[in-house]
Amino acid sequence: MVKRLSGLQRDVLQMYRQCIRQAHKKPEANRPNFIGYIRTEFGKHRNLPRKDFSTIEHLLRVGHRRLENFSAAEVKDIH
Amino acid sequence: MFSSLLRGSTIALRTASARSALRPVAAISRTSLVSPLRAYSTGLNRDDISARVIDVVKAFDKTTASAQVTADTHFAKDLGLDSLDTVELLVAIEEEFDVEIPDKVADEIKSVAEAVQYIASNPEAN
Amino acid sequence: MSGLLRSNVTRAALRRGLATEVGQQAPRLKTFKIYRWSPDKPAEKPRLQEFQVDLNKCGPMVLDALLKIKDEQDGTLTLRRSCREGICGSCAMNIGGRNTLACLCKIDPDTSKESKIYPLPHMYVIKDLVPDLTQFYKQYKSVQPYLQRTSVPADGKENLQSIADRKKLDGLYECILCACCSTSCPSYWWNQEQYLGPAVLMQAYRWLIDSRDQASKMRKEMLQNSMSLYRCHTIMNCTRTCPKGLNPGLAIQEIKRSMALE
Repeated sequence: MVKRLSGLQRDVLQMYRQCIRQAHKKPEANRPNFIGYIRTEFGKHRNLPRKDFSTIEHLLRVGHRRLENFSAAEVKDIH
Repeated sequence: MFSSLLRGSTIALRTASARSALRPVAAISRTSLVSPLRAYSTGLNRDDISARVIDVVKAFDKTTASAQVTADTHFAKDLGLDSLDTVELLVAIEEEFDVEIPDKVADEIKSVAEAVQYIASNPEAN
Repeated sequence: MSGLLRSNVTRAALRRGLATEVGQQAPRLKTFKIYRWSPDKPAEKPRLQEFQVDLNKCGPMVLDALLKIKDEQDGTLTLRRSCREGICGSCAMNIGGRNTLACLCKIDPDTSKESKIYPLPHMYVIKDLVPDLTQFYKQYKSVQPYLQRTSVPADGKENLQSIADRKKLDGLYECILCACCSTSCPSYWWNQEQYLGPAVLMQAYRWLIDSRDQASKMRKEMLQNSMSLYRCHTIMNCTRTCPKGLNPGLAIQEIKRSMALE
């Protein structure tokens, strides 16, 4: 039952954690928007095969760049 | 295990500072080393932690409303949370106790009991 | 009815034929094989897509062909372009195995050979022929590519420079940062995170030898480690590929020399 996580899976979880933490730094009223956005964006690739490394790595890169953009304090809300 | 290790180190530091009191020259640097640990050593009550963790878990929107949350609840088995939901839940717990759980530790926390255990062992939690 | 219409149209087209079209030539169909990959379907592998272009109805440069394909055959083909005259550096890509600017690269008129077009090698691809240059720009920023002085001129006007000193900047300032050289460099391929690469190092040199700049000591200190500069092993792919005919390899050598002589 308990599967050991691969390094890449850990990276994804870490990335998700960073996103959620960042969302908690946004104005309280808009947090659900951010959380919802994060959930849908990750959800889009929920069925990606675990072994599709290149795609996962690509998505991680894209995600990091987007996180960097949305981390800016000027970004207050998301739709 | 973590907590006992930490507690052990505080004691060691305390004795070190007690000894250094005899030699005032060395005392300054030693005490300044000790003080941050002391400031936080007023630990939280384990039952309080448990109650607060359970509250956070209940408030989490992906927890099914009917689910009974107790100190033994397992996130995945009892609440049906997946790994991403668990991450979210842990961030909420981080916020409640004003700490940041390191990634490596967070990946291993899978139940209320483990979360309580970590918070109890973290001297910075409040 | 429709046949009648069409014959009218063709007759009209014949009458107003373009000046460049010499009578009725046989089409010269050239095959282009172009790298395609879309971030919308990240799990799909990259592929080469074939397009045919009639060279009689196309401009002479590869960029003309690419834009013709995008206009007439597949609007989703994605590439960067702007000036179409080799001064913006946007359309850098790998054409026939060589990094160059699509707007400065003539189409090989031999229609029996196909032309292969890839994005700049060893770069993350954003889409089709568009590489991710974030790291490249970060590195450029890291060499602080701007004039640094501790004092202002006494007359409060310009920082003057002798004609001889100005001459030293020739062959350096013309760089348009297209990244052709850096992405042709094996050292840069394997150590992109730490090695600055020829394009950025040439700009570091451009500021090092500028007689008006007063930060050269700091600039040299920044390069004084095993990775930033000394990953250059004089492979010289940079100089060979530069679409502007510059010599980044020489600039790197000059930096090394001036640091060795200190």
